[in-house]
Amino acid sequence: MIKIRDLEKIYRTEEVETVALNKISIDVKEGEFVAIMGPSGCGKSTLLNILGLLDDPDNGSFLFNNIEVAHFNERKRAELRKHNIGFVFQSFNLIDELTVFENVELPLIYTGVKSGERKKRVEEVLDKMQIMHRRNHYPQQLSGGQQQRVAVARAVVNNPKLILADEPTGNLDSSNGNEVMTLLTDLNEQGTTIIMVTHSEHDARYSHRIIRMLDGQTVLENIMV
Amino acid sequence: MIKNHLKIAFRNLWRHRVFSFINIMGLTVGMTACFLIFLYVRFELSYDRFHAKADRIYRIVADIKTPTETIPASGPAWPVGPHLKLDFSEVEAYTRVLPDQILFRKGDVKFQEPNAIWADSAYFSIFSYILIKGDARTALKEPFSVVLSETAAKKYFGKEDPMGKTLLMTGDAAPATITGIMQDMPNNTQVKGDVLVSMSTITAKWAQDLDNQWGNYSPWAYILLKPGINARALEKKLPAFLEKWSGKEMKQLQMFVTLKLEQLKDIYLKSTRGEAIGSKKVGNIKNVYTFSIIAAFILFIACINFINLTTARATERAKEVGIRKVAGAVKTQLARQFIGESVIICFIAFLFTLALSALLLPSFNHLAGKTISEGIFTNSSLLLLLLGAGMVIGLLAGIYPALVLSAFKPIEVLKGRFATGSKGSILRKSLVIAQFAISTALIIGTIIVYSQMSYMRNRNLGFNKDQVLVIDTDGDKNREALQQAISRLPNVRSTTLSASVPGGAYSGAYSELENIKGDLQITNLDLYFVDFNYIPLYNIQMAAGRPFSPEHKTDSSQAIILNEAAVRLLGYHTPDQAIGRRFKQWGHEGKIIGVIKDFHYKSLQQPIKPLSMRVEWPRFSLLSVKINPENVTRTISAIEKEFKTVIPNRPFSYYFLDEFFNRQYHDEERFGRLFLNFAMLAIFISCLGLLGLASYSTMQRTREIGIRKVMGASVSNIINLLSKEFLKLVVISFFIAAPVAWYFMHKWLHDFAYRTSISWWIFAAAGILALLIAILTISFQAFKAAVSNPVKALRTE
Repeated sequence: MIKIRDLEKIYRTEEVETVALNKISIDVKEGEFVAIMGPSGCGKSTLLNILGLLDDPDNGSFLFNNIEVAHFNERKRAELRKHNIGFVFQSFNLIDELTVFENVELPLIYTGVKSGERKKRVEEVLDKMQIMHRRNHYPQQLSGGQQQRVAVARAVVNNPKLILADEPTGNLDSSNGNEVMTLLTDLNEQGTTIIMVTHSEHDARYSHRIIRMLDGQTVLENIMV
Repeated sequence: MIKNHLKIAFRNLWRHRVFSFINIMGLTVGMTACFLIFLYVRFELSYDRFHAKADRIYRIVADIKTPTETIPASGPAWPVGPHLKLDFSEVEAYTRVLPDQILFRKGDVKFQEPNAIWADSAYFSIFSYILIKGDARTALKEPFSVVLSETAAKKYFGKEDPMGKTLLMTGDAAPATITGIMQDMPNNTQVKGDVLVSMSTITAKWAQDLDNQWGNYSPWAYILLKPGINARALEKKLPAFLEKWSGKEMKQLQMFVTLKLEQLKDIYLKSTRGEAIGSKKVGNIKNVYTFSIIAAFILFIACINFINLTTARATERAKEVGIRKVAGAVKTQLARQFIGESVIICFIAFLFTLALSALLLPSFNHLAGKTISEGIFTNSSLLLLLLGAGMVIGLLAGIYPALVLSAFKPIEVLKGRFATGSKGSILRKSLVIAQFAISTALIIGTIIVYSQMSYMRNRNLGFNKDQVLVIDTDGDKNREALQQAISRLPNVRSTTLSASVPGGAYSGAYSELENIKGDLQITNLDLYFVDFNYIPLYNIQMAAGRPFSPEHKTDSSQAIILNEAAVRLLGYHTPDQAIGRRFKQWGHEGKIIGVIKDFHYKSLQQPIKPLSMRVEWPRFSLLSVKINPENVTRTISAIEKEFKTVIPNRPFSYYFLDEFFNRQYHDEERFGRLFLNFAMLAIFISCLGLLGLASYSTMQRTREIGIRKVMGASVSNIINLLSKEFLKLVVISFFIAAPVAWYFMHKWLHDFAYRTSISWWIFAAAGILALLIAILTISFQAFKAAVSNPVKALRTE
């Protein structure tokens, strides 16, 4: 599903040049659950952003479903992104002014799903995540675990082939964290590819494979048994 | 999607009520000011455009070249109108128009009708005033025909039908017949009359030869051209026309005339002629421009607030932008959302603007000194225009913030790695500078307008206008008897009869005067007819010679007094040189017996012109009465009693000369008041914006303030820190505003022949004022932040 070769990303300010990704090469097959680990500043998040088509690389090749996307423009990336990729963030990133229902509905609006169909699908996924009873609440009225469940619901409502999770349990206590990890595992078992950046060895153990990074390069791959 | 956007928009407005309030209030005030100015400008531009044939109506004006000057007259000689119609097939009709005050009586009801007009018979076929009763073609044809407005008809006849009835006209009580009733003339017409009298009355009763007097100038004259006629082409034929009819006379009098055609629609705002006859309404295109520019500025300031507050709040919306982008939104969708939001805000402001405008219109009418609009809800196209304008403002003001917001990179903002770009803050700062530059310039302008007004009121005019009551006898034959009766009253110090008083109408006389070389020089002199007591009563100073005196028999027919300007015109180096020289004027000749010092007999807009004074008893109509300051009301009622005994046929009317003289500055006062009001509005809106920005900036720096306080910063340190940034902008704006304001106000003052100087303190005062207002605005926010508990600030991180 994902094949990157010799990918480079360099951040430049007037005086400093920081190499975030240094000719990195990674493959991810469809249906895999991959964890990416490494110390702060090793380039994990940069990699995730490029994989999520939020950012573009400076050099190298990126095949997504056998399409070269490395130099897609913003509009093309957005088009591909909204149909194929869902995101889960450490800080949930829900819109404060929208209710649970409206937050989950958002991706469907931008993919042009009709209102009746939207309602059906949002309710389905809220039901699955067991937060249906909170549908008319605003994010501030929910606990952290509930907020992250809403975020996961939003990530999957469009049935994406790939979910990118950036430290999804980072702001949660362990029981809520476990709950979210179980949710992700379930989704993976139903066929969704998952790539997750994490600091937590515990969370990483839910994955099939761990890619360890240092200074913008992969240093080690562990296959989980 | 639209539903989702609307929802977000309203929830955002509600969540950030203070910002929304500042935003909407600023826009509302700005739009209201603009709308009112728009109504004013529209009204000024609408003068005399309602006439169906306005495109074909021209006013004939004349430049009269004498050996010494060119006089811009607002009308041609009396015979020009009729003779143009005779000579040129291009001319369809003509009418002369002479505004006047005429005494009318019906039984015991008597009025000195202030809005009377003498007009030729084609008046109603040229202008589109609506005749309700009577025949438009013949109503003003016969001598002693009168057409009344509905208001005048009610005044004289109550519920009676006035058609065919009789009014007694002028002091001679000539009977005149009502031949028509017209709708009241609209406010936006230059010559508004309530009573029209046929011009043929004048030729029938007083001046049979008038239509042949090519040297006699007086009324306004209008012609209606046939369709398709080029006025400029006709204008080119006029010199030959004049040569044919009055060439000999022009040569003999040494007065050469050029006739010009002014399009009716342009007269009110653009013509510089017309003040001489005491025309009632002269607009000023400069005022229209000035206020249009002010309106644009105010709107600009309001839009700046909007842009500044919205972009300043961008950080708060950044997260939303990031999430939406991750969820699949593209830039254009987001831009549309944010522009939509600003349009919504403008729509809300539009609704408030309607309410506020409706509320303020009556006082604005009062402020503008005329009814510019009866109401705003009567005209649906006006409302649509305002709505459209509101939406366009929303679009324009929304574009920049929308572009800024929608361009955020999702990863950065979601990671919180988002800094308010220095680019954005530079733009915000320049916008604040622009706002305050405009406001400061308006403050400077206001101060200068007011100091010029105070200068005009307080300047030594060269005569004494205090405690002088002027009674209009309208030339009644008993005026001298009245003078004697009033002179005997207690508290009356002295009296004088004359044809003119300072600030009022006067004659312009073709004169021949001996100049320094000993030749008789032809010149046009302003002319006051005065009695022996005039110069002492008004305390006009002599520069040479002596005033008129009853002891010199010849003073009543063979003596003239000139002012210094006239003496200079004749080439004399000192006033004394002019004494005893010869003069000829209006059939009289004799010697110059005295020279008076220059005094301001016109408003200070105009320079002091050469003036002559002569004694000529039949010309007198005004009685000036100098009274003691005590018991003024009792004195006036005593005077009124005498008037009613001596001149029973006329209504008693009087005015105080100082008020009468100062009425010449009403336009300037109104201009000043409008200027002041709009300047205050501009400052108010700017301060709203500053308040918003300051509170936002303080909010953003909560953490910094917390850290600084922990490190030992005092309250005044913090206030200083927060205020400095904004006050710097205000100071910069002052240096932009000062030269610009100086330039424009310098030009404005140039319209006044006598003007105050623009001194440095005006700029200092304006600068300090702007700075004080800004400090007040900012320090409230800064103080709040400075005294808050630092622990709280740090905990929010």
